[in-house]
Amino acid sequence: MTASVAAASAERASEPSRACYPDETGYVDRDGVRVFWERYGKGEPAVLFVPPWSVVHSRCWKGQLPYFARHGCALAFDPRGNGRSDRPIEPSAYDETAFAADALAVLDAAGIERAALVTLSRGAQRSLMLAAHHPERVTAACFIAPSLPLSSKSGPRTAAEVAFNARRRTHHGWEKFNRHYWRSNQREFAEFFVAQVFPERHSSKQIEDSVGWALEIGPDALIASELATRIATREEAEALCQRLRCPVLVIVGSDDRVVNPACGRALAESTGGELVVIDGAGHSPTARFPVAVNIALGAFLASAVAGDAGAMRTGLR
Amino acid sequence: MAVAAGIEERAAEPTRALYPSEEGYVERGGVRVFYEAYGQGDSMVLLLPTWSIVHSRAWKAQVPYLARHFRVLTFDPRGNGRSDRPADPALYAESEFAADALAVMDATGAEQAMTVSLSRGAQRSLLLAAEHPERVRAAVFIGPFFPASPVGGLRWRMMTHPRLRRRFYLRPPVARGWLKFNGAHWLADYDDFVDWFIRRIFSTPHSTKQVEDPIGWAHETDAETLIAVTAGAMATRTTRREQNALARRVHCPVLVISAPNDKVTAHADAKALARATEGKLLTVADGGHDPGGRKPVTVNLALRDFMEHEEPRRDPTVHRPNGGPRALFVSSPIGLGHAQRDVAIARELRALKPDLQIDWLAQDPVTRVLEGEGEAIHPQSVHLASESGHFEAESSGHDLHCFQAYRRMDEILVANFMLFHDVVSEQHYDLWIGDEAWELDYFLHEHPELKRAPFAWLTDFVGFLPMPDGGEREAYLTADYNAEMVEHVADHPQVRDCAIFIGDPDDIVDERLGPDLPMIRAWTERHFDFASYISEFDPAQLPDRDALRSELGYGPEEQVCIATVGGSGVGQALLRRVIDAYPEAKRLVPGLRMIVIAGPRIDPDSLPFLDGLEVHAYVHNLYRHLTGCDLAITQGGLGTTMELTASRRPFIYFPLEHHFEQQFHVHHRLKRHGAGRRMEYAEASPTVLAEAIAQEIGRDVSYLAVETDGAERAATRIAELL
Repeated sequence: MTASVAAASAERASEPSRACYPDETGYVDRDGVRVFWERYGKGEPAVLFVPPWSVVHSRCWKGQLPYFARHGCALAFDPRGNGRSDRPIEPSAYDETAFAADALAVLDAAGIERAALVTLSRGAQRSLMLAAHHPERVTAACFIAPSLPLSSKSGPRTAAEVAFNARRRTHHGWEKFNRHYWRSNQREFAEFFVAQVFPERHSSKQIEDSVGWALEIGPDALIASELATRIATREEAEALCQRLRCPVLVIVGSDDRVVNPACGRALAESTGGELVVIDGAGHSPTARFPVAVNIALGAFLASAVAGDAGAMRTGLR
Repeated sequence: MAVAAGIEERAAEPTRALYPSEEGYVERGGVRVFYEAYGQGDSMVLLLPTWSIVHSRAWKAQVPYLARHFRVLTFDPRGNGRSDRPADPALYAESEFAADALAVMDATGAEQAMTVSLSRGAQRSLLLAAEHPERVRAAVFIGPFFPASPVGGLRWRMMTHPRLRRRFYLRPPVARGWLKFNGAHWLADYDDFVDWFIRRIFSTPHSTKQVEDPIGWAHETDAETLIAVTAGAMATRTTRREQNALARRVHCPVLVISAPNDKVTAHADAKALARATEGKLLTVADGGHDPGGRKPVTVNLALRDFMEHEEPRRDPTVHRPNGGPRALFVSSPIGLGHAQRDVAIARELRALKPDLQIDWLAQDPVTRVLEGEGEAIHPQSVHLASESGHFEAESSGHDLHCFQAYRRMDEILVANFMLFHDVVSEQHYDLWIGDEAWELDYFLHEHPELKRAPFAWLTDFVGFLPMPDGGEREAYLTADYNAEMVEHVADHPQVRDCAIFIGDPDDIVDERLGPDLPMIRAWTERHFDFASYISEFDPAQLPDRDALRSELGYGPEEQVCIATVGGSGVGQALLRRVIDAYPEAKRLVPGLRMIVIAGPRIDPDSLPFLDGLEVHAYVHNLYRHLTGCDLAITQGGLGTTMELTASRRPFIYFPLEHHFEQQFHVHHRLKRHGAGRRMEYAEASPTVLAEAIAQEIGRDVSYLAVETDGAERAATRIAELL
């Protein structure tokens, strides 16, 4: 009996059936780091789902991809560091500019001229850069739970990052956001961090998935990804916001415990975009409230593609 | 009345690319008209008959393609095909053909259609669109007979001139060219006219096949009939003014398709028609008089584009095809048990509400059952992500951890709910019914603002239960899922307008939903109505066992054992175990006849072949065979085991390992009925199984009776929501 349970467990650990499978996959390699991408569906509108922090990979968009594949073309890629992409260990390999260039390379490889960008959390940074520097490639941008230095109220993660390199004897709560702790207790960090991402009740599946993905990246790569160069100052972020020409939608959860929703509000203001607040949602409404996100995003893309400058507030939940 | 010549030819028609799903006759004033309908869906294309020299097969290049995308209706004109051939010319007036068209639309429940006409059919099409605009969504005219251009239409107009009419009946001095278009000549040499006329239609080179068929069709009618038809058409005078006035009364979208090399009706007439109706003109080079026959691809694509472009965004508050209420039924595809009881409920619902139209959002294997029953499957169903495929992938041997498989189905549930949301956003339904449609129930409770119709929920079990070897983690997770369900129902009681438990309170296990949660039975009794078990059949309705067995070909001395795993793809292991046990079982039971049913999702060729063993694929209405057998072997699924309980047959069931629903819920219900012998797959070697077969086969059993009015009770409750 035990043997069969173990065998069944091993099988279950493998990826479950997807709702749909990609029509095309491939790798881009700009600078010696191979990045894996997938295309689902075809036609307009094309939507590029940009990965967040390398602690997870493209499967974090599994609630969105099948739906947007049915209504156009959905692209996703694994961030350097996780999934089927390479895992360099130099911090410079994880600079936001590198991810932005990867995104552009994926669009080129898939033969997509222009796409809407959909981003989560730290993915906002690379997407903001892409939309600001290559407006001719971006039809619209949707920032979900964006992590940008636009508000003085930045949230627990930004505060924890200050002590990232510190040596401590104990690590409670956000003190686990620490390079030494990651080296010795990556699983405990993952469990803590993911629990913060999903404060909502009945999120066991979302938590299980994300912890699993967080263990697919090794501690060296994870540390490197955290030490990389990002958009550091408010001025830098504001400057990029001013350069945006496309329609913008920002979606935040009112109960985000990783990044303060004030960041999202500030981003909406700076870009002149629309704001949707999902009541009771945490840092990843894409996984916990996929239907609400899909409906809001679908309505936004429909109007953006139709040339309507303003997006739509849907007032869900 | 002239009998159609060439009836034998008709009967020997070549194989069609597509056969009609519906056919019949309408009768008006003693004249019967034969029609055929193809395809499915909400959009209807009506292919009108042209001049009675040919019949509905003239559309053969259009029907298969259009029927893939729309419902298609054709009918034979009076005067040819399988329609009647009255002798009185007055019965061939254009108004008669137009009225036939309406009668055929009524007979097939088509409120509106896009009409497509060829040649002479343009006249009846114009009449229809002018006088019954509410029935005509759009009109397409191919090679139209519309003699309104000054020169091009002159010949046709002259034929109807009162002073020149009689020329039609007088033998021409020489029967050459258009002089062949003459009643006397038809009587004298019909073959010659047919040959000439059909070749004139297909004037483009390399049209030999296109010519052959219509010549054959022309010979299914005869000169006398064609004269009566033409006399009827010539009865009123055709003038340019009259034609233009008729065309200007048409306000629906119009498309005219015509070829410049048309030698029967002038291309200029087509242009005139497009102008008068403010329609579009599509010119098909080298199309001849029948571009649909000579350039079918161009025409088919143009028809489809026109139809789809003209398809308005459905107003959800108006527009019901036959005025009756519409329900969307979502039936769980895990196994076949749900499908069968849902078909029974649908039947009872229609008995209560005869004008109820039911669309099904369903996937394999449910679609097999539905198709077998003639139910309408919503076309968007093809986009459903496969749940049964997922469950099969999650299984291994005779092991399927049902709860884990459900948790790992999250992506599929989201995707399928989004599809459901798209469907109900585009089309209004008066009622949503979900039989264990988990995605529906879950996301409607998460987002109650998305609910736009009454929602009826059906299930045969309540409560996820942990497997003992799942430890604390599994106990925690099942309790968490159950708690979420309890909160959902408590916070949003308006989401389920009715919740029906398929069974009785005594069928419910004696367990809690979780350590700090209510007892399952108490909670279910508070939140559900009970319909009792729903079987798809009433055992009393079947013939007695001996008569049934003889019908099924089971000899009185044979001891028939049927092994079935229902509609699941997870059953290979058990079927193989049964096959392994067969030789020993046969030794112990000399009269044994073993029949293995692979089901719709297992390839029978994948099972081992043994001498004397019978292996079948999917059997529709398997319950009849089960009622006649002496022993059945099955998994622990509710559908098959309850069928066997209802028909009082001995059976052995093997609940799948780690499958909480089979191991706990179904087992409890069967125990309550005193039904079946439970065995564990892991302990049942072929020898052990063979011995069990020998002990159980043909045994007298005494089970608790299974109610037979469950479907009626469920339907009555659901019908209250309409």
